[in-house]
Amino acid sequence: MYCIRLHGRGGQGMKTASRILGSAFFEEGFEVQDAPRYGAERRGAPIFAYVRAARRPILERGIIRRPDLVVVADETLVPVSAAGVVQGVGPYTVLLIHSAEAPAVWKRRLKLGGEVFTLPVAPEDRADVPLIGASCAGAAARLVGEISRDALEEAIRSELVGMRAEVVAENLERALGAYDRLAPHAGCVREGDAEGVGPFESPDWIDLPFEDARISAPDIHAGGTSVQVRTGLWRTMRPLIDLEHCHRCAWVCSTFCPDGAIRVDDAGAPQIDYDHCKGCLVCVAVCPPHAIHAIPEEQAADAAAAENAA
Amino acid sequence: MTETAFRRMNDLPSTHLLGGGTAMCAGCGGLQAIQEVYDVLGKNTVFVNAAGCMTLLSIYPFTPFRGSWLYTAMASAPAGAQGVRDALDILVEKGRIPPEENVQVVVLTGDGAAYGMGVSATSGAIDRNLDFLYICYDNEGYGNTGQQYSEATPHAARTATSSGPRGYPGYKKDLFSIWAAHRPAYVATVIGAEPLDLARKIETAARVRGPRLILALAPCPTGWDFEPRDTIEIGRLAVRTGVWPLKECVDGQVVHTKVRRPRLPVEEYLKRQGRFEHLFAPERKPEILDEIQARVDAYWQRVE
Repeated sequence: MYCIRLHGRGGQGMKTASRILGSAFFEEGFEVQDAPRYGAERRGAPIFAYVRAARRPILERGIIRRPDLVVVADETLVPVSAAGVVQGVGPYTVLLIHSAEAPAVWKRRLKLGGEVFTLPVAPEDRADVPLIGASCAGAAARLVGEISRDALEEAIRSELVGMRAEVVAENLERALGAYDRLAPHAGCVREGDAEGVGPFESPDWIDLPFEDARISAPDIHAGGTSVQVRTGLWRTMRPLIDLEHCHRCAWVCSTFCPDGAIRVDDAGAPQIDYDHCKGCLVCVAVCPPHAIHAIPEEQAADAAAAENAA
Repeated sequence: MTETAFRRMNDLPSTHLLGGGTAMCAGCGGLQAIQEVYDVLGKNTVFVNAAGCMTLLSIYPFTPFRGSWLYTAMASAPAGAQGVRDALDILVEKGRIPPEENVQVVVLTGDGAAYGMGVSATSGAIDRNLDFLYICYDNEGYGNTGQQYSEATPHAARTATSSGPRGYPGYKKDLFSIWAAHRPAYVATVIGAEPLDLARKIETAARVRGPRLILALAPCPTGWDFEPRDTIEIGRLAVRTGVWPLKECVDGQVVHTKVRRPRLPVEEYLKRQGRFEHLFAPERKPEILDEIQARVDAYWQRVE
């Protein structure tokens, strides 16, 4: 059975990618399961989807613990522990990641035993973002080696039915392009063993005695506790305020920020709360002197280092 | 005109009461409006929240509010507000809480509840002259479940349940007039993209007693299909094209608080949103565009 897990952010098309992959396997005569997994969070929050495919009935249920192939649409998710990108990755697990860095870097960084392949880094043009899913599906189909070009094309057409012809064509181009590019590596994903109860490891937990609701779910008497949730992890683009050009009309950016993540310091300058800024970039759009610009989140560390050096 | 604390943009609060870290989408126009509303209302409030996107504001044990929050089924928020109001009144009357701990009861619902399931409960609450403030964030569809059409969906918009070449065949319900016909103490429309107008209206609403109802258009990047950064721009266009009239109603008199002359063509608003894309491509649908424009023009002809 093939166990494939796809990680991305809400809006990057990973749910669709899992459906395309599932339908393509189905076209090839496999039994298939595909399902997305996400919580109450929204566009930009980490999500994953998974696909099981086998030439026998699939009795396994639930999330995939030991993936044979992990697909990552957005490399900024790797260090986010809540995203669980490397969870259950074993010595044969293949990693496919959208990244500008070389496969060897990822192999070393994550201490991976299995093969690593990279796809070109996620597009900066946000209009292209939903197409990431198509290239992930195409590349994954090739790495598995069981899916023909025709089956992939058929799966995309059936999953995107109802979309405009140009959108379908563009998705096909991305998916088939990725499929062709990875031709030398066709079939490198190893079909894993069945997920029986044998390899099940009992979780390392501590049993707590049953408590009544006043203890296990106490009343919350504090206000504003939501600040404990770091929605800054959703961000793919980071707004930066250029305080030299800032007109100190902080009531504009501060009022319009949907998340209330721009505060005004004692000197009247706006300060962005990056723990909670979701990267919507409303501030960039409304700033009267255009003193706020955005950089991709993966460049933020470099930018901060350069600033410190200066 | 009554005295207002909000004369210029820089009178608006620059510290914000609502906590960050909520589960709303990046660029949420509803959350943006609620931020502004909450800053004016202050923390002496209790929110009664009908099921919808904003029920995700408070996910135990996290809440962005400084005070209490109560969750109700979709149709029942005004009934919940009645219970809270009555309880507070009794506690104050019996001296169990000091009058300064009395709080405003605020109902918060989306358009699914406000325009549809909750109309009856709202009508009853106004009828009973319940002292409460109702805030509806109107993103013109059941956004929390994937933008199925609601009675607030505008004509021709694409929704998850109206995906044909002509979009949603119905017309947006005029909830402002339905509410106003009940003669409550105050009714107003607002939008987060016009924060001064919003702040003055919330200030007015907070001053009076009785039923007060606020309808906030909430541009929705996910449901309306536009980039999160454009939330404010789309909101401004809704006002400048005349699609979303900013108005208030006191004692049966409707006053428009921000009138744009000349109005921009509605196309300027529609073409920025993916939910109206089918009106422009693959070929332009002039008959639908003209109809939408004509309806907006007819509205303003009636009021001007």
